Amino acid sequence: MLRRTIPMLILAASGILLVVAYFSPFTTSWSETVLGWFNVLAAVAFVLGAGNLLAVNLELVSARRAGWAYALITLLSFAAMFVFGLFKIGVVPNPDHPNVYFAGDYESSQSAFGWVYEYIFSPLTSTMFALLAFYVASAAFRAFRAKNIEAILLLSTAFIVLIAQTAGGMFLTGWIPEDSMFAFLRFDWMKVGITEYIQTAGMRAITIGIALGIAATSLRLILGLDKSYLSKN
Amino acid sequence: MMNALALRWAFRTMAAAMLSANAGALAMPPAPTNVVATDRPGDGGGAVMLQWTAPAPSEVKEARIERSATAAELKASAPNSAAWISVASAPTLAGEGLGFEITDLPPSAANKSSTDQLVFRVAFLGTDGEMSAFTDSNTVVGVANIFLAKKLGLAVSLVLVCGSVILWILLARAGRSVKIRRIAALDAVDEAIGRATEMGRPVLFVPGIQDMTDIQTVAGVTILGRVAKTAAEYDATLEVPTCRSIVMSACRDTVQAAHFGAGRPETYREANINYITDEQFGYVAYVAGRMVREKPAACFYMGAFYAESLVLAENGNAVGAIQIAGTAEPSQLPFFVAACDYTLIGEEFLAASAYLSGERDQLGSIKGQDLGKLIAVMVILVGCVLATVAAFAPEGASARASAAFQNFLGG
Amino acid sequence: MSTANTQTSAPGRSDLRWLWISLMVFSVAALAANAFLRKDGMAHRYVEVIEFERVEAKAVVESGANATGTETAQTEWVDPTDARLANGTLRLVEGVAPIKWKLHKDVASTTEANETSARRAAGDMSAPVVELSMWNSLGVWAAALLTLGIFSFLYRDNPYYKVSESLLIGSSAAYWMINGFWTTIVPNLFGKLAPDVVRAYAIPSLPVSEHPGLDAGLAFVPLILGFMLIWRLAPKGGWIAVWPLAFIIGTTAGLKLVSSIESDLMAQVVATMKPMVVFTAPSTSAVASSAVSAVNFWATVGSLVGVVGVLSVLTYFFFSVEHKGAVGKAARLGVWFLMITFGSAFGLTVMGRITLLAQRLEFLFNSWLNIN
Repeated sequence: MLRRTIPMLILAASGILLVVAYFSPFTTSWSETVLGWFNVLAAVAFVLGAGNLLAVNLELVSARRAGWAYALITLLSFAAMFVFGLFKIGVVPNPDHPNVYFAGDYESSQSAFGWVYEYIFSPLTSTMFALLAFYVASAAFRAFRAKNIEAILLLSTAFIVLIAQTAGGMFLTGWIPEDSMFAFLRFDWMKVGITEYIQTAGMRAITIGIALGIAATSLRLILGLDKSYLSKN
Repeated sequence: MMNALALRWAFRTMAAAMLSANAGALAMPPAPTNVVATDRPGDGGGAVMLQWTAPAPSEVKEARIERSATAAELKASAPNSAAWISVASAPTLAGEGLGFEITDLPPSAANKSSTDQLVFRVAFLGTDGEMSAFTDSNTVVGVANIFLAKKLGLAVSLVLVCGSVILWILLARAGRSVKIRRIAALDAVDEAIGRATEMGRPVLFVPGIQDMTDIQTVAGVTILGRVAKTAAEYDATLEVPTCRSIVMSACRDTVQAAHFGAGRPETYREANINYITDEQFGYVAYVAGRMVREKPAACFYMGAFYAESLVLAENGNAVGAIQIAGTAEPSQLPFFVAACDYTLIGEEFLAASAYLSGERDQLGSIKGQDLGKLIAVMVILVGCVLATVAAFAPEGASARASAAFQNFLGG
Repeated sequence: MSTANTQTSAPGRSDLRWLWISLMVFSVAALAANAFLRKDGMAHRYVEVIEFERVEAKAVVESGANATGTETAQTEWVDPTDARLANGTLRLVEGVAPIKWKLHKDVASTTEANETSARRAAGDMSAPVVELSMWNSLGVWAAALLTLGIFSFLYRDNPYYKVSESLLIGSSAAYWMINGFWTTIVPNLFGKLAPDVVRAYAIPSLPVSEHPGLDAGLAFVPLILGFMLIWRLAPKGGWIAVWPLAFIIGTTAGLKLVSSIESDLMAQVVATMKPMVVFTAPSTSAVASSAVSAVNFWATVGSLVGVVGVLSVLTYFFFSVEHKGAVGKAARLGVWFLMITFGSAFGLTVMGRITLLAQRLEFLFNSWLNIN
């Protein structure tokens, strides 16, 4: 009862309520309220995440398991960043309220938190992002080796669209007159045709399918057909 | 000399005044008649429909509309300010039929969802710039209605989509065939876990990087339930790194439930389901490193993904894992398609959990989804035909029908 | 046999090791030379120092003929040069010391820093004070070394990458938690439950609510749900955590059910409704029949391709029928449309990714090595 029926009722009731609320001017703002609650809930739930992170890494360090030194680095950087941010160490006062210590911006570049953000966190994440340039190349290379028509379509389209964005496109096909009947062979024309007609159509159909899929999935949840995460035993 | 001049000037002015008065009397448009104000139905408040009888167009250029100032407005402005506030100029014909719509009226101080009592007045502007007298309307209050009429199209679509799904669930219960076409990616799930078991390597499941407020994450976690059950039956190690605290919680519940379902609660390891960090690239740095070190034999990416999709899929490829991806994030589908063995594209991914469950109700709901799609296809075809006919006669009734059809659907 | 193997392979390995070591020694030497021998060698970061001072003051209420005026109870912190202090509308609060601090603003480049310093040295007092920032210079080194650490993963997994990864995980987890605390918990939870306390200690500018009681009441909902969620850490009754989860999933389902139909399904269906014939100029009904030449060929083809594409891809997504016969052919066409769509999206992304890489290299060469 408490473990299955009530959660299912909560789920169905909250779902139906929000669907109905959307249609009345008196209740349309409920969705915003609920999303606001969710943000608070997610922030409170950090306790779970932090607890897990500490538990896992402390266990590695205390048992001197393989890689414990890295776990120690994780723990230390976590603790340092946490303390820097929570106590706003080195934060510049708020010009309007310099007497209130915690009124300063926690992210200001002069603070310890801001320093770690700018010189540790940010370069690390943007380099991780930059690795994608290499992965895009290796993925294209792999698709190149596939011998079926789908892979060829994908790769040749990617090639046309890519080359049309560079000077290479103009260099190779720029000499074809725009008013001739072969103008569609120009890379820039092909790119426009592909992106504006085919890609738009493809994305539209994908989006329509996804919308129906999301609607059906939501309905399955509200109707209680899909309850795998609710049953603990 | 002075006197004579003054006299002549006075005479001229009088004459001019008489002349203009005369002309005014001739061209003064008639005052509006039948001025009726009503609350606009089916709105969120602050709007009124104003009707009047339109005069002959030759006499009148346009209608000038004013409304009474509210108590708050009178108080806020200078004491001797106007009691009437100009609202709009409208074509005189606009008063016919449903009337002219006046929006953005100030809400009442006491009740935000309605306006104060308001009176409107209308005067006609003649073709030569003369104004008629004003005619007052009845008192009106613009109130918010329970149902927003502009969302009627949405309500109809919602009923059609949900109705299709529910109808097919009922048909499935009544014994109709719920045969679904094979989805290769889902048939490969068991094979991939089996392979991992044989090789003695772990199975990696990535539930995306969004929180439980994204249906994709919910769908991913549901698929995790099925993957975890198979893994429990085969006794394969399943690792689930998560990017959100609440997702970690949900995954733990799901995997534990799966182990109970497989009859092997003792093999459930909470420690294999961990929160890493909320940061997208921090998370992917961990998962990529983990992949290279642990060399999972099967990788599942099921949920909402962004730029990290390719980092994951390429590293999975590098360690030779069987990779099955599923996402409804259109921008990441190309990368999964290029780098994974199987990819569930958009709707396939969202139907996967129902497909994998094998339950009649859930399979029926997939059929319902198809019925919804069929309706969408028919609506598109009707719309295209209407639009094509409208292209031949942009002024005709077909064009109006086409526009009204698209407008009803929120276009 | 095995010994022979070891013997033959050993020199090879050690050769490689020596190659790596000499490469490392060479790079370190080159870095050191670059850092110390060149003027403004590497990674110098300068900051503009801006001094701030604030004094506490009270507003003086104009009270007609009485020239002395009365002070309001509300005080504010203002710049000592504030015009209102001079003209008497503000008055200093006695016995409160002014608060002073220095703000450091990053200077874009070493060249700019040198120019500004030179101007100030030449007597131009309008030029700001520029200082070398040890911390920021150190920061550039840290950032550069960590950038290289992440790049090293491309070669293979290694301790250098693992250190970078661990730092990233630890600092980013804490970053988002602190972010959640200061931007959500404090203003949206504490700020509603105890607005006065939050105003006094953390957010003096927290807006005053029109219905503080209602806000506080509503704020209890996520608080209680949050406690239920965390209760799973307790030894008993952890199942209660399922309730808030059900609430989250239920509200998500409700919200997405409506929004997916409205903003995705209906919007895309309407967008697909295009005329199958496109005329170059809007034709009037009188000339429509004779204006066959006015049909825009490519636009019409595009329009047809668009509709055929949407319908064929939707056919691919039909689950009720096996992809055989006519349906199979339509679905196959749909797959081709999908592949071209994906290829196009792929091609459009590549340049963006290369730009990201270029930015990192630019950072390494410009900001760190100071090679322009």
